[in-house]
Amino acid sequence: MLTARRRVVAAAAVMMSGALLLTSCGDSDSGSGDGKTLKLWHYEGPDSAMGVAWNEAIKEFEAKHPGVKVKFEEKGFDQIQKTAPMILNSSDAPDLMEYNKGNATAGALSKQGLLTDLSAEVTKRGWDKKLSAGVRTTSVYDTNGVMGSGKWYGVPNYAEYTMAFYNKDLFKKYGIAEPKTFDELTSAMDAFVKKGVTPLANAGAEYMAQQYLYQLALSKADRSWVDKYELYKGKTDFHDAAWTYAAQTFADWVKKGYISKKSTSTKAEDAGVSWIQGKAPILFSGSWWYGRFQTEAKFDWDSSLWPGSNLTLGSGGNLWVVPKNAKNKDLAYDFIDITMSKKIQNLLGNKGGVPVAADTSAITDPKSKQLISNFNTLSQKDGLAFYPDWPVTGFYDVLVSETQKLMTGNEKPDDYLSALQQAYDKGAPKQ
Amino acid sequence: MTVTVERGARAVAKHQHAGPRRPRTRDSYALFLLPGFLAFLAVIIVPFLMNTGVSFTEWQGIGSPKWTGLANYRELLDDSEFWASFRHSMFMVVAMAAVPTMIGLVLAAALFDYIAKHFGSKWAAVLRACFYLPQVLPIAVAGIVWSWILAPDNGSLNELLKAIGLSSWQQDWLGDPDLALYSVMGVMVWVQIGFPLVVFMAGLQRVDPLLYEAAELDGAGWWRRFWHITLPQIRPEIYVVLTWCTIAALKVFGAVYVLTKGGPGGATDVPSYFSFSTFFEKTQVGYGAAISTVLTVIILLLSLIGLKLQTRAEDAEEGVRA
Repeated sequence: MLTARRRVVAAAAVMMSGALLLTSCGDSDSGSGDGKTLKLWHYEGPDSAMGVAWNEAIKEFEAKHPGVKVKFEEKGFDQIQKTAPMILNSSDAPDLMEYNKGNATAGALSKQGLLTDLSAEVTKRGWDKKLSAGVRTTSVYDTNGVMGSGKWYGVPNYAEYTMAFYNKDLFKKYGIAEPKTFDELTSAMDAFVKKGVTPLANAGAEYMAQQYLYQLALSKADRSWVDKYELYKGKTDFHDAAWTYAAQTFADWVKKGYISKKSTSTKAEDAGVSWIQGKAPILFSGSWWYGRFQTEAKFDWDSSLWPGSNLTLGSGGNLWVVPKNAKNKDLAYDFIDITMSKKIQNLLGNKGGVPVAADTSAITDPKSKQLISNFNTLSQKDGLAFYPDWPVTGFYDVLVSETQKLMTGNEKPDDYLSALQQAYDKGAPKQ
Repeated sequence: MTVTVERGARAVAKHQHAGPRRPRTRDSYALFLLPGFLAFLAVIIVPFLMNTGVSFTEWQGIGSPKWTGLANYRELLDDSEFWASFRHSMFMVVAMAAVPTMIGLVLAAALFDYIAKHFGSKWAAVLRACFYLPQVLPIAVAGIVWSWILAPDNGSLNELLKAIGLSSWQQDWLGDPDLALYSVMGVMVWVQIGFPLVVFMAGLQRVDPLLYEAAELDGAGWWRRFWHITLPQIRPEIYVVLTWCTIAALKVFGAVYVLTKGGPGGATDVPSYFSFSTFFEKTQVGYGAAISTVLTVIILLLSLIGLKLQTRAEDAEEGVRA
């Protein structure tokens, strides 16, 4: 039984621990909200196309807003991904933040009322007119947080899409023609295997393997298939022709040696580096590699959309979002406006990014021109099919884990598809 | 000859019980415990209770949690991935507690009883520091270095095997589901050995050298001295090391995160990583909280059982000596 003295000690302990907790969760207002500071967070590396363009945008913003200081903090992708809900729910929220697009991320935050509805501002400033339909999809979310319709909760300044990167020197060295069709691609891969070269760079521990698989499915799919899968406009059946073809073909490609079984545990960075080092003749991945390849690949290379497919992985880039608790929203809108200006968009384009509102004639670098031209082709044919992990929160991990099992042969294609179906049905909104 | 070793806190407690009771003085000591108690309350107890509360809900980390009672725990019972992660934990106990304790014992005895005697205590100290080095390295650094060593294409291990004509032994050490867990276990043995070694060498310092001298005069070889003197004398240290390392094995996270992220296909998943990925990657916060609550309870129970066994063994030992 507690003595009176111990009761006092216990009460003091509870009060102090309560005070400690309150202090740790309390307001630590940095003094913004005075119209003189724009608190900006993003996670692009300073050397990337977006990093360069946005640093320039900061300079221009400060020049146009005398007396206003941009308080920029570079964050990590993971850092923002994992802590955004907590930060946006607090008074420490920035005025403007880069955030990942999709149902499980920006959609989830918009559904919880943590993001500002930008619809009025988007119309007023004409941003909607600058973005094509495919790019716009990831900016608007309905009341359930599902992208494609509803209010504007984010604005992308760039786009991204996947493509096949070819090491032309390796093709020449082995006397193999650069493929233009899917059949030519498989013939070329056969030829490389015969010469003892694994044709495709791959990373089973991260997104790359699942993207090969999704691309194979997309080559047998159409827009309504994508809408069912990504926007829940109908029932997704993982045992349909497209998914079955993809799983079976991917497993066959591992068996045939197009994809090394040893890439089961490798990361995307390893695959990218192996391509840069000239070890693999083909890499299928996103435009986010483009600028780096321009700088680091010391051989003749080329890129093209995946042969024999109208659809490929891609979307508008990550979004500028304005947190509900932002204190300087008008400054945030001004900053977005500058990043949408021709000057910044052209800079982004010339640095290896895919701008959404650039002046085509101002893009002078030939490789950048090709990148943008391929994107325009894709955009015109409504070919952006998003990413396979978007529909369900946590689906990325499921895809990584299950695709690894498919690669090692621990799971048959049919069981693989059943596992995906189970995880998808569990997480997707009920029809 | 009988050697009586009074052990730390228990010996102090015995002396306190033997002396006159002075409740006022003891109460005044409570004030010194207060900061630690408050920190414990704020950092351990309150978050644990909050976590337990969250485990009874369905929650994505934002918005309002939905009360679901024991649903998460019921789901946990049928979750094959969770139980697979616990099976992997048992392998980790072997790699992080059992094997390092055994190797640590032999190495400690060899350094103390052979190297120090024949080459000087400086050499023993240098070797001890070398074995302890992996404990000083941050696990993230060690993990990245090992992932280079074990890489399938240019990894040092595979290159070494190739260089000595054993190309057929080359493996995808972290990518083959039949091998990955053993590869992670191998890394963990390397990481762990230093800890038992240092503790056992410290324990050996307090063993009366006369025991060894007497045994040597009686013609006992190194192995008999190790078995009949070293082992019984440092039994308390062995209990401490085993308990400590078992707890570390049950909550191992960093190495799995850096080396394999639980893959390939869940082959190296462990409960703490499973909880982390469920909580943060899948944002099933309620379910992730249930996993970590169960994990905490299991670790707590195993620790209590370990401590109880240790106390009972010590009591029995002291009873024999008395």
